[in-house]
Amino acid sequence: MLSRIGPAKRVAVLSVAAVFMAGCTHAEKEVSIAPLVPAAGRLDPGLGPETRALSSGPGYKGSPSWSPGGARIAFTVDGYVVDRPTDSEEPRRWTTRDFTAEDTEWISEDTLMILGAASPTGTEESPSSLYRTRAEGDSLELERIEKEVSAIGTGRGGLILARGRGASESRLALTRGNGDVRRLYSESIKGRVASLSVSPDGDEAVLTVRPPGDLQTSRLHMFDLRKGRVREITRLDGNREILGTPQWTGQYLYFVAGVKNTPLDRDGSEPLYEIFRVPEEGGAPEPAPGVGEDFVATSIRVSPDGERLAIIGRLSPQAPTNLYVLDPLAEDLTAVTTNEDMEIKTGPDDLAWSPGGQSVVVVARGTPSTEPEVHAAPAVRLLEDFYNLYEIPVGGPEDAPR
Amino acid sequence: MRDIVFWLSGATLAFLLTAGAFLILANLATAPSEKRLNPDQARGESGQAVDLILDRERLASLEPLPDQSLELEVENEGTEQLSDVNMTLSVASENTALSDRRYYRQTVEKIPAGETASVRFEFDLPAREDPVAKPPTENPEPSREILEIRATTPEGDSTVRTVILPP
Repeated sequence: MLSRIGPAKRVAVLSVAAVFMAGCTHAEKEVSIAPLVPAAGRLDPGLGPETRALSSGPGYKGSPSWSPGGARIAFTVDGYVVDRPTDSEEPRRWTTRDFTAEDTEWISEDTLMILGAASPTGTEESPSSLYRTRAEGDSLELERIEKEVSAIGTGRGGLILARGRGASESRLALTRGNGDVRRLYSESIKGRVASLSVSPDGDEAVLTVRPPGDLQTSRLHMFDLRKGRVREITRLDGNREILGTPQWTGQYLYFVAGVKNTPLDRDGSEPLYEIFRVPEEGGAPEPAPGVGEDFVATSIRVSPDGERLAIIGRLSPQAPTNLYVLDPLAEDLTAVTTNEDMEIKTGPDDLAWSPGGQSVVVVARGTPSTEPEVHAAPAVRLLEDFYNLYEIPVGGPEDAPR
Repeated sequence: MRDIVFWLSGATLAFLLTAGAFLILANLATAPSEKRLNPDQARGESGQAVDLILDRERLASLEPLPDQSLELEVENEGTEQLSDVNMTLSVASENTALSDRRYYRQTVEKIPAGETASVRFEFDLPAREDPVAKPPTENPEPSREILEIRATTPEGDSTVRTVILPP
C-alpha cells in the first residue's frame, strides 16, 4: 500500500503512525520512587515549607513538652516517655514500654516529671503516680514521688500536683525543685481535679474539676496558692465538659468545652468543641471572640509570653484541621497552616510552644492508605506514615497582628 | 472533489497528531508503578547493587494469621555475580510498646549479574489488636503490621523495603 503513494505522503503517514504509536505505548512500567527524606532537616510534609520533623518512625506519639532551654523535647510514644535533642535523631527512653504516661513537665534541663503508671492508668481504680526522672551520666533514674496524683502543672513557685483517690475529694500540694512535697494544702476540693494550670505570677492555680457523682469535668475552680483557699469561678451545664487544660492570657482564662459524645450517638464523628473564656474573678463562660462562630477547637496552648494562643481546630465542622494562632487582645485569628493532606492529632495535650515562642510543635501524619504501602527506607526513618512531631514556625510576638 | 479529499486528509492528520501528542503527555504524567523501587541510600557507594521486587497483589493478600508466605525477587543490578546474599524479614507491630518483633532469615547462594533470584519467606502475621477502650494517651485505632525486608551482600551493601499493611 505504501508503494502506491509518493515519498512525501509516505513520510507523513509514517510520522503520524509513529506519534500515535508512541502515545499509545505506556511509559516504562517499573519506574523508581525516590527514597524518603531523612527525618532531620527542613521538609514540607504539607504543613508549610519551614516545618521541621522532630521525630520519625512508628509509634503513637503525643504530649510534646520542651525542656526549659529548648534543647530537648519530651513526648509519649505508645504510652511510654522519650525525649531527644531537637537538633539530632538520638531519642532517649525514660520509662519502660509497659508504662503509660498521661503528662510530662520539665522542672529543669535534665529533670522531667512524669504523671503515669503501669497500664491501665488514669482511672479511679488505678490512679496515676508522679515520677521524677533524671539523666545522670548514661543512666536514667525513675523515682516515684507521690501516689494517687490526678494532675500536675508548673509555675514560678514549683510544680503543683493534685492528689486524690476516687472522685470525691482532691488536695493540692506544692513541690520543691527536686520534686519533694514542700506544702500540702489543707483545704480540699470537692471532686476530681482533671487538669490544672498555674497563673503567670505563680499565685493562683485554675483547676478543672469533675464533681462527685458527675460524668463530666464541668467546673472551673480557682485556688489561691498563698492563702490556700479555693473558690468555684464557673460551671458548665447541659452535659457539657471541659477538655484539656485552661490557659491564662490577659485577664481571662480560655478553655475548650462542648457536649461530649454519648454512646448512643457515638458514630465516629468528633464532638464539636468550642473555645470559651471566663474572667479570672469568675462568671458565665462566653465564646472566645475572634475565632468565628463555626470554629471547632480541640486543643489550645498559651504562648510563653502569655499574649497568644495556639489552637488546633477547624474553621467549620467540614474544614480540615489546622494550626491557628489567636491574638486575644486584637481578637484576630491567623492560620499558621493551610494543610489539607495531613491529619493533625487533636488530643488536648498534642501541641506545645517552644520556650522562645517562635514555633509550635504539633503531632501529625498523612492519611493512612487502605492498601499495602511500600517504601524504600527503613521504618524508623518514615515520617508521614505514622504520627510524628513537627515544629512549625509561627513568628515572634512582634509578628502578631494588632 | 480533490479539495475535499485534501481538507479531509489534513483534518485527519491534524487530529491524529493532536491525539498522539496528548497521549504522549498523558503517559509522561502517569503515576509510577510502585512494584519496583530503587535501593535506598543504605547502599555503599562502591558496592554492587541489589534490588528487591515485591508483588503488590501478594502483599494485599496477606492475612493476620499464622503460616503466611511472601515471595519476592532479588535482582543483581551489578556486573558481577553475587554470592551469599543475606535476606532478612522482620515483622513488627506499629505499636512500639509491643516487643513482639520477629525475624526470619534466608541466604541466596548465587545471583548472576543482571539476573534475579526468588526468595520465599514463611512467617506468622499476628492477629491485629482490637480497638478496645483505652486511656486517651493510647492509640484508639488498631495497629498496622510492618514488614521490613533487607538484602545485604557480603560486602555489606544493603537494600531495604518497608511494607505497611493496613489493619
